[in-house]
Amino acid sequence: MTVLAENTFSPATRKRRFTREDRLPVAVGLYVFLFLAIALPLGLMFLWSIADGWPPPHVLPQSYTTERWAGVLGDSGLLRAAINSIVIAFIVTFATAIIALPTAWAMARFSFRLKRAVEIFILAPIIIPGIVVAVGIGQVFLALGLAYSVTGVILVQIVGTLPLMIRLMTAALETIPDDLLHAARSLGAGTFGITRHIVLPLAVPGLLAGGLMSFVGSFEEFDKSFIVGAPVVETLPIKLYMYLDPYSMQLPLASIVSFLLLLPALVIFVIAGRVLRDDLMAAGMGKI
Amino acid sequence: MPTCLRDRRFLLPLLLAPGVGYLLLFFGGPVASALIGSLRMEDGTFTLAWYVRIFTRPSMLRGLGTSIYYGVAPVVVSLLVSVPLSLAIRRHFVGRKLFSGLYKLPLAVPGIIVGLMIIVLFERGGFIDRAVAPLGLGLPKLVRDDWGVGVILASVWKQIPFMTLIITSAFAAIPEDIRFAGRTLGASRLATFFLVEVPLAMPGITAAVLLTFIGSMGSYAIPDIVGPPTARPLSVLMVNEFNQGRFPQVFAMGMVLSVFAVAVLVAYYTLTSRIGDAHGHGDAK
Amino acid sequence: MTMLAITDITKDYGASRALHPISLSVEKGEFVTILGPSGCGKSSLLRIVMGISQQSGGEIRLAGKRIDMLPPERRDIAMVFQSYALFPHMTVEQNLRFGLRMKNVPKAEQQRRIAHALDICTLTGLTARMPRQLSGGQQQRVALARAIVMQPNLLLFDEPLSNLDAKLRDTLRHELVALHRRIGATSLYVTHDQAEAMAMSDRIVVMNAGRVVEIGTPLELYRSPKQAFTAGFLGQTNLLAVTASGRKGQLPWGQPVDLATEAMGPAQVSVRPESIGIRACDHVSSAPATVADVSFMGASALYTVAVGETLLKVSQAGGDALIEPGRTVALTFPDRLPVLEDRALADRVPSREAA
Repeated sequence: MTVLAENTFSPATRKRRFTREDRLPVAVGLYVFLFLAIALPLGLMFLWSIADGWPPPHVLPQSYTTERWAGVLGDSGLLRAAINSIVIAFIVTFATAIIALPTAWAMARFSFRLKRAVEIFILAPIIIPGIVVAVGIGQVFLALGLAYSVTGVILVQIVGTLPLMIRLMTAALETIPDDLLHAARSLGAGTFGITRHIVLPLAVPGLLAGGLMSFVGSFEEFDKSFIVGAPVVETLPIKLYMYLDPYSMQLPLASIVSFLLLLPALVIFVIAGRVLRDDLMAAGMGKI
Repeated sequence: MPTCLRDRRFLLPLLLAPGVGYLLLFFGGPVASALIGSLRMEDGTFTLAWYVRIFTRPSMLRGLGTSIYYGVAPVVVSLLVSVPLSLAIRRHFVGRKLFSGLYKLPLAVPGIIVGLMIIVLFERGGFIDRAVAPLGLGLPKLVRDDWGVGVILASVWKQIPFMTLIITSAFAAIPEDIRFAGRTLGASRLATFFLVEVPLAMPGITAAVLLTFIGSMGSYAIPDIVGPPTARPLSVLMVNEFNQGRFPQVFAMGMVLSVFAVAVLVAYYTLTSRIGDAHGHGDAK
Repeated sequence: MTMLAITDITKDYGASRALHPISLSVEKGEFVTILGPSGCGKSSLLRIVMGISQQSGGEIRLAGKRIDMLPPERRDIAMVFQSYALFPHMTVEQNLRFGLRMKNVPKAEQQRRIAHALDICTLTGLTARMPRQLSGGQQQRVALARAIVMQPNLLLFDEPLSNLDAKLRDTLRHELVALHRRIGATSLYVTHDQAEAMAMSDRIVVMNAGRVVEIGTPLELYRSPKQAFTAGFLGQTNLLAVTASGRKGQLPWGQPVDLATEAMGPAQVSVRPESIGIRACDHVSSAPATVADVSFMGASALYTVAVGETLLKVSQAGGDALIEPGRTVALTFPDRLPVLEDRALADRVPSREAA
């Protein structure tokens, strides 16, 4: 019977062939573009960090050294800044999530008369330029004595992370069907049980997206932290800014600090990038 | 749970309190106090002098103009790249999933680092300059130049992934049957795109454009690092004034920037209210 | 004349075949329905005809010209979608005008056609409304009007009534039939609803698992199906095994029946529930039939009758009294029972054709 013959795979048929549907030219073009736009600059920065002097006209460094990395990693001031950044980012993310959850729940499940006004108010910290928020808070904190303190930096950063977290979580919570909650109640679940077993698990995509954006946002936040914290409280971005003073720029050191600043954020981003849903992110970040 | 808390009238404000309350306290309050501060002299009398200064002193006027320029120019360039890019990635191609993750990387890169990257690449004596030197060419001044090309490049680099993400989602939300309907009625791919898809994706596209514009109009780090010292935007001037303690002036500048941003937002709402919900279903379910 | 000719169309997804070679034709002015269960490939076939999906093999001719290589906008076919697919950002009138603009129809002619379509779809007065302001039935009519205003060579319908509730579906079905009688457009209609197919079509193409099972008029397919699948899918039936000798056959419990065609040996017949006569009878014959269950359906009563090991569905119209479960009944079978070319049965018989 001919049926048997069709089932055997000859080795040749297992080789992957590109079909027209793969759009190879488009793929190649896009990846080249990606390489030039992202990989190239990052690579160059890395070269600067390990180059032992890189005078013109050389296109590539002639000699390399790891001294600078060693020096930087041993610099206690930088280490302190790094620890500051990490600790602040964790606290900010955690606090933002806790503050945002009840509000996001209200926005997702209820309709009420002033809802649109509340929506716009939540959007406002994103609309009002960050520097305006920063100087506004900066002056108040100066008066309150919260300036130049880690607490002040944390409080001011939450203003920046809260809107996005609320919006992302609202988008996630909106997707929970009413019937699910009714069913849970009819099966005897109380409010705490529903929150723990239904709401939180289903809110995970929103929590993840919001948590990620908050952490990264806090870690690399500059404008507000600079106004409120510098020069006493130093985060990594502030440290980096100081290396980029146009009149005394230290490119190699700046490169190293840049990577210290970038690496955690990039790693988290790549890991979570596999879990994040585009439609959720667009809904949270792109609607006004 | 006590029954009174079940009552919506209590429950709703209680739920809203943490988020809205926090923002009222740490955002609304300071902004309101900044508004008040911008209208007062040191002795407490009401004045509009600080605002007058902004619109009369050449350096301030130039600052406002530069802010708007740094808002508009990058957005235009970003749009020109983002729209074709989102069209290119919406259909399948080999390696699409990986690309969809990678192109978002700039979202995680802070503005200061982008500034550094521009310097490394485009500065006189930077990589590209050295790379084309053997050919007898030299790079024109692109960093800290009068046109702020460095600022625009840095802003564009950060903005393209954001805009592409939003625009792609806006197009993806259009049911494919509507696209097919356009085709079956005689519209070519291109005609369907311009006459059917773009209008329906407009709310999403304009939202992306607006948010990006507002963001780059008010940004501080990038213009400060790679922008020319001769044409500094209001955001940079503001920090100067802040460091010199002239708070009322700072607040007035901040208010001007904010009003501008809000005005653009209002324009957006009025323009898009006509289109309405793109996915009306009538009673059919 | 043949308006649409589909020849050996296939569709493969990688190594798996969704559509086996399909061939069918539609005459000018005919209303042909493709009927089949979900997943049988009918919508895929329709999309291939429309051009929004690419076939893997075969060709399609419209009015004699090959169209399978053309993009959808050049095929002179209009489609009515299940989701209506009205342009949300355009008024009803703009929706109707869109296709006419695309084909550069002169302004005066545009007006005439739009007015005509609005009239026969009972949409006058709604021209300035936006789709979201319309009810489901109105939206569907607009979708219909938008298609017929193009005066295409072929009208395609992709389960247009599925999203409507039952009453609305009935109303619109009648309107569609009336419309077709009035404008006589060649139509290819896809549905999974067999009642809809039988009520509307000149001919029905029955599909299952990517293949055409049988083609015929509603009457032919209902009264004299050739395949077991057709018999089972259109309305209700009893598929019974008989032992045939010529034009006579014997049911499993020995009752003799009259066959429509000649057959020898084991065969399968289709007996519609409404064609079996049933009356309460206390005489116990050699093969007693007992009522196992009765369902009152309003206009009829549906009995489940047990004869030996077989369970039969018997339907009796009207009547005053229902026969209670447990009663013995006598069954009379109609003449000329259709004998099915039951493939399943035939496979067990060694065939002379090489496999």
